[in-house]
Amino acid sequence: MKLLTKLTLFITLSKLIIVVLFVVLLPLLVKRVSFQYTNYYLEQQKKKVLAVIQKNGVDYYLQGDSAYGSYTMLKEEYISLSPVSNAVVRDTIETSQRIVENDTLNYRLLTHQLNYGHQKYLLEIGKTTATIGQYNTLLQRFTLYVLIGLIAISILVDLVYTYLLLKPLTKIVKTKLLDRKFPFKESLFPVKTSTSDFKYLDRSLISLMEKIHGAFDKEREFTSNASHELMTPISILQTNIENLMLDEDISEYQQEKISGMMKTLNRLKKIVHSLLYISRIENDQFTKKDTVNIHNLVLEVNDELSHRMEMKSIEFTNTISSRVNLNQVNHDLLFQLIYNLINNAIRYNKEQGSITVNDYYAPGQPYTLLIIDSGIGIRQEELGTIFNRFKKSAQTDGEGYGLGLSIVKSIALYHGFEIKVSSEFGKSTTFCITIPTDLILL
Amino acid sequence: MKVLIIEDEKAMAKEMCVFLEKAFYLCDIAYTAGQANILMEENQYDFILLDLGLPDKDGLQVLSDSKKICPNASYIILTARGDLEDRIRGLDLGADDYLAKPFSLLELQSRMQAISRRKSGNNDPVIELGEFSVDLNKRSVLHQQQGIELSRKEFDLLSYMLLHKNRPLTRFQLSEHIWGNFSDDDNDSNYIDVHIKNIRKKMVVFAPVDWLQTLRGIGYKIKI
Repeated sequence: MKLLTKLTLFITLSKLIIVVLFVVLLPLLVKRVSFQYTNYYLEQQKKKVLAVIQKNGVDYYLQGDSAYGSYTMLKEEYISLSPVSNAVVRDTIETSQRIVENDTLNYRLLTHQLNYGHQKYLLEIGKTTATIGQYNTLLQRFTLYVLIGLIAISILVDLVYTYLLLKPLTKIVKTKLLDRKFPFKESLFPVKTSTSDFKYLDRSLISLMEKIHGAFDKEREFTSNASHELMTPISILQTNIENLMLDEDISEYQQEKISGMMKTLNRLKKIVHSLLYISRIENDQFTKKDTVNIHNLVLEVNDELSHRMEMKSIEFTNTISSRVNLNQVNHDLLFQLIYNLINNAIRYNKEQGSITVNDYYAPGQPYTLLIIDSGIGIRQEELGTIFNRFKKSAQTDGEGYGLGLSIVKSIALYHGFEIKVSSEFGKSTTFCITIPTDLILL
Repeated sequence: MKVLIIEDEKAMAKEMCVFLEKAFYLCDIAYTAGQANILMEENQYDFILLDLGLPDKDGLQVLSDSKKICPNASYIILTARGDLEDRIRGLDLGADDYLAKPFSLLELQSRMQAISRRKSGNNDPVIELGEFSVDLNKRSVLHQQQGIELSRKEFDLLSYMLLHKNRPLTRFQLSEHIWGNFSDDDNDSNYIDVHIKNIRKKMVVFAPVDWLQTLRGIGYKIKI
């Protein structure tokens, strides 16, 4: 999940949780607040009552009666003053029932013991719980609306800010990581941001990629230069040897030796040629603009190699569909790819063996090309390394120079093909090339 | 035929010169573009063999400059840079052929001869070979007006050996000519033997082919 998505989810969820918690807790809170307020209110009333009693005297209220009581018409509040015996009553505020004019009502009740002269009085100030809670629902609803409004605004602000904050990161990921394919060719520009972490990340990525690019360039350059530099002495040697061969004074023995030298030199030439070829593929020096008919390509390769098949009496079958064309490929490279595979299939085949080239294609599926031989096969433990440079199979008796399949692999990679090999040792080998749909032209 | 070799590797230039002189060409050597300029102004050349990697000037520039001084010469570009781009640009600038280093001197001579044949309007004499006559233009082998069917590769092989007659040719040199970069020394030497065997078989029906000699452990030679 993307960081922006995660943050968005987190912000929204956390705020929703706050809303839910608030909705659950709000009635309790409001109730508590109103009780607290009532307690405070009762205390204030008590102070006022005590003040007027102090001023006017108890008798002014008792007016000869033993007790005083006062309440409003709806009995929402009442005050009573009654004499008590010597028992000490502590000041309390509690909820309890009182009977006022035959109505039993719930009151929040403040009790206070009042000493006036030698007489002790009990002062009660009450307020019905019904009146205490009368604003609660309204208050809750109003608070909730305000809260939801505020939360919505804050989510919006948070999301916009998060988006703006993470924008440089998104850009770094897009331009530096997602859109980039190795080898990195185009130059990199730093992403504009005021966040130092992103700046650091961006700078590190750029320098890392430049380093990788540099190292890759150096390797390519080395292979390319080394091969070129080797070509010159090889050329000189070759011309030397050829001239020597033409010398009329040399004996047959010497001619044979020179011929051997030529053979070795030829081998060296082939290795350097192949390395150069791979380096040229890796350097993108081949255009991919040709349209190639696979069936015909296999025929071309067969034409070039039929003499070798005849020598071993190998039966060759080409069942490739003639209507499949490959678009945006390099003809010469594909020829080399098929050539190397079929050439190997001949080289490692038995007398009177067979080679079959067939394909599999279903619309929407990648195109699959199979090259199957009835040759000596490849041991299971060697299958993983056969595409490596200079990797030679144990059974090849020094034939080849171990670059043919590296070239095949490079060409396949260059075109975005996938190449797999499977083999039954001593029986057969199958090379399977998978070609992406977008290259296929019917 | 006069040849100018423009090549900065002295050993290479000298070997080319030795080889071409044996084939009766007259050779001059220039190691730099500057030297080449002087030589071209003083002499007329039939062939100019130009190495693209010269120390003092870009090879393709040298080519276009030389074309102005010696417009009638045939140009063969030699280069260790196997770039297709260079090859195409070279041929666009008017080079007649292109050889990637390392190349075989036999191949060089064969290309030079092909250019000569092309420029002279395919008017090569028919070459006598024992009792046979070989027509390089029509690509046919005749024995007393009767045609002998040779496959494409067999004819290529025969004409190549004929061009380099009286020289020992190794199997690798022959296979390199026939299959180019695709030659495979371990395998193709055998195929050369097969082709030679076929050529002999097809021709010996008409007349002896003792001019086609086998050099044991080396290769073949046409001796006439």
